[in-house]
Amino acid sequence: MSRLIPGVPTTPPLALTARQRLAAYWGVGVMQCRTQLLYRGDLLFRLFGVLLQVYLLSLVWEAAYPASGTAAGHNGHRIALSTQIAYVTFAVVQNWLLNSGGMNFIPHRVREGSVAVDLIRPMRFPTQMLWVHAGATAAQTPFALVALPFAVLAGGAQAPASAVAGVCYAVSLALAVVIALLINTLVSMVAFWTTESTGIFVMYRFVQQFLSGSLVPLWFMPNWLRVLAEWMPFQTTTYAPLAVYLGQARAAPVIGLQMVWCVALFGVLRAVWARALNRVVVQGG
Amino acid sequence: MSWYKEADRTVTAANPIPSHRAYRLLVGAALRAQLQYRGNLLLTLASGIAYQSVGLAFVSVVVARFGSIGGWSLSQIAFLYGMRVTAHGMWTVPASELNWLDMTIRTGEFDRYLVRPAGPLLQLLCRRVYLATFGDLATGVIILAVAAPSAGMSMAPGPLAYLVLALVGGAMVEGAFQLGVASLSFRMVSNQSLRLLIASIMNNFGGYPLHIFPNVTRILLCFVLPVAFVAYLPATVLLDRTGDLSVAPWLAWGSPLAGPVLLFLAYLGWRRQIHHYTSTGT
Amino acid sequence: MPIIEVEGLVKEFRRPKRFGGPFGGLRTLLTRQYVRTLAVDGISFTVDEGEFVGYLGPNGAGKSTTIKILTGILKPTAGRVEVARVVPYQERERNALNVGVVFGQRTQLWWDLPLRDSLELIGRLYGVERARHLANIKRFTEMLALGPFIDTPVRQLSLGQRMRGDLAAAMLPEPRILYLDEPTVGLDVVAKERIRECIAQLNRENGATVVLTTHDLDDVERLCRRIVLIDGGKVLYDGSVEKLKAQYAPHRRLVVQLAEGARWHGVEMAGVTEDILGPGMVAVRFDPNLVGSADVVAAVLARHAVRDLSIVEPELEDVVRRIYAAREASF
Repeated sequence: MSRLIPGVPTTPPLALTARQRLAAYWGVGVMQCRTQLLYRGDLLFRLFGVLLQVYLLSLVWEAAYPASGTAAGHNGHRIALSTQIAYVTFAVVQNWLLNSGGMNFIPHRVREGSVAVDLIRPMRFPTQMLWVHAGATAAQTPFALVALPFAVLAGGAQAPASAVAGVCYAVSLALAVVIALLINTLVSMVAFWTTESTGIFVMYRFVQQFLSGSLVPLWFMPNWLRVLAEWMPFQTTTYAPLAVYLGQARAAPVIGLQMVWCVALFGVLRAVWARALNRVVVQGG
Repeated sequence: MSWYKEADRTVTAANPIPSHRAYRLLVGAALRAQLQYRGNLLLTLASGIAYQSVGLAFVSVVVARFGSIGGWSLSQIAFLYGMRVTAHGMWTVPASELNWLDMTIRTGEFDRYLVRPAGPLLQLLCRRVYLATFGDLATGVIILAVAAPSAGMSMAPGPLAYLVLALVGGAMVEGAFQLGVASLSFRMVSNQSLRLLIASIMNNFGGYPLHIFPNVTRILLCFVLPVAFVAYLPATVLLDRTGDLSVAPWLAWGSPLAGPVLLFLAYLGWRRQIHHYTSTGT
Repeated sequence: MPIIEVEGLVKEFRRPKRFGGPFGGLRTLLTRQYVRTLAVDGISFTVDEGEFVGYLGPNGAGKSTTIKILTGILKPTAGRVEVARVVPYQERERNALNVGVVFGQRTQLWWDLPLRDSLELIGRLYGVERARHLANIKRFTEMLALGPFIDTPVRQLSLGQRMRGDLAAAMLPEPRILYLDEPTVGLDVVAKERIRECIAQLNRENGATVVLTTHDLDDVERLCRRIVLIDGGKVLYDGSVEKLKAQYAPHRRLVVQLAEGARWHGVEMAGVTEDILGPGMVAVRFDPNLVGSADVVAAVLARHAVRDLSIVEPELEDVVRRIYAAREASF
């Protein structure tokens, strides 16, 4: 029996309760959030880059749009220029918040060998990583909120299509956050198979930016690209919630699809982790 | 390879190795080092191409739907984009190591350059050959080659010569700003964010025809951070679109000259900052 | 009562064959050819609860691999492992609740945040009841003298301070088993002593089972009653330190300092060898099982004018070195 205070025996618990586990994961997430906030100088510059991107894209769309000020989307809806610009504004900020975050956390830990430390802890590894990424996103959220009014100045804004649409957007956005966490964690697990993850991530970002709809909304995509995007989970993190907000898509199918992706991606994550664990070779004997 | 074994003469501070020979020696060493490093060349090149192509892919989707941007066809915008990426590649292939200046100052590596009998800037640029930059250059050249005919550029020797001059000039404009920002490293601890910001502006705004921007922005992009001189102005000349310009045509015709002038000024600034750095101590 | 049982443990690493040349990276990624290394080749041992075991071996012997298998980070290729009746790699999280680990070269603390924050979070990670955890923090802060720097970010701590922090973090959940992977590497003498004392106390007073992997033989002499010596993935020796010395280096040395001007005439005794160490200094090596030390001393004194005498025990270092050398010679 391990005794710290003589005479009072203790034994470590056989397993943690659900509540204890939640407290543990929450704690890990908070630590990452705080760590990230220490490096906020960097974030400010990147935010300025986000604003410039909004500005540029708004001008490009304006230059592309016909003089009439509206254009037809793929289903025949007419999209006003102001709507398109509002979409661009929100999409860039939302995509920055959800998808631009560190996919570098796991590769860095694997390269340094500090992933061993993560594996010593009594928590599931993929879940732990999800919470770490969530902490990082939480750290970025206040910056995104501050940037939003400036982005609106640079681009444009629009009220939600209806009060219901606004509420559904909030729900959809929450699910989008979860899906983004799942995808980012999943993709960064490639670090367990190769050390060349940086190059892979650059190419991944290219694909993700397009298929998520952050550059071109699905309603203006050529058919083949749109169909491809609809079958991938990326569009549920950027395009889908905004389409609900702007009244270009019905909320129920979107939210339903997001929930399906949440479950599916979590399953894939656990399957990938099971295989990764077999491959774990921690660097630096 | 030794600094001091120049077979025909002894090297001293008063009689240093001429720059061109030093350059060859340094680059040779760096290249050999890189080829020994078992990095994934193909993957690095591919990722470089992917990074540079995002903007163009975006433009092609928009134009596929809307026909043109600001009156410029896809080929013309691609041509402009290709010019910008090529100019960017022409600068980064030799000079990408400039990005590491603040790190070398911090670790003391730069101080070693100051002690050796060759220019510190040269040594910094040759410390490593970053093969990904060739990907950038290759991407740009390919885009140019594909877009030029359908964009309406004449393939006569005159315009081609002008194109080459414009690309070199454009590379120098970008270089001038990168060098200028790098020089700040001698004063500030880390200028990485500023450098990334400038690079990002040049990357993103440089590939679009200037007239889609409102007046104030146009002036900023012409005269404050002269992105326009990198690709847009010479492109209007080559594509015979000087009618779009809101500035005088002679400015567009003479745009390749901006590069050497700006780079020279930046180099003077660099020298001044180094002088300040060495005289006040680390 | 055994708490760690290792039987016939084998771990083979398969790494994709690395190719050189320009397309090397791509070929490495796609190759089906592998290079096999046998890191652990049939290791068996048992550790009882409350024991303090030193786990020794040269670099590349398989020590770290064994520890990683015991903590569930690696899955063995073959063999049986049970720690507190849990198979580590099958139930990693359950095993983690019983175990505390200190990696010498890696910290488990959060790098950018104050030490205190890491220590407080540990309690939540391991489900320690809050009041008890706070009491433990206080206890270990005192024991390891963490007070002066407990609010400093870990990034700014010296190696010795960080190591103490890591030790506190490993011990705070009061684990039944403590794995220490080179905990004193790079530390100065004072810091080493403090850490050794703390570990000894934990083992002595709280009954924690300790497995200490180390290169530092002073650590072993000071702390371990039993050592397991491995090399080339195999166990070379498993037993007490005394027996190790007796078995592999039974000799003692009588170091003689001659009086000024005296000369060495030699000692005529069987089973004795003499080494001249320097002017006026001689070492007489003998096996105490064959020749009594008193007899050797008497023989020396009978023929020489002696200024000083001392009997030197074999150094563990010599013993270990000799074992490794013997092993290499057998290749």
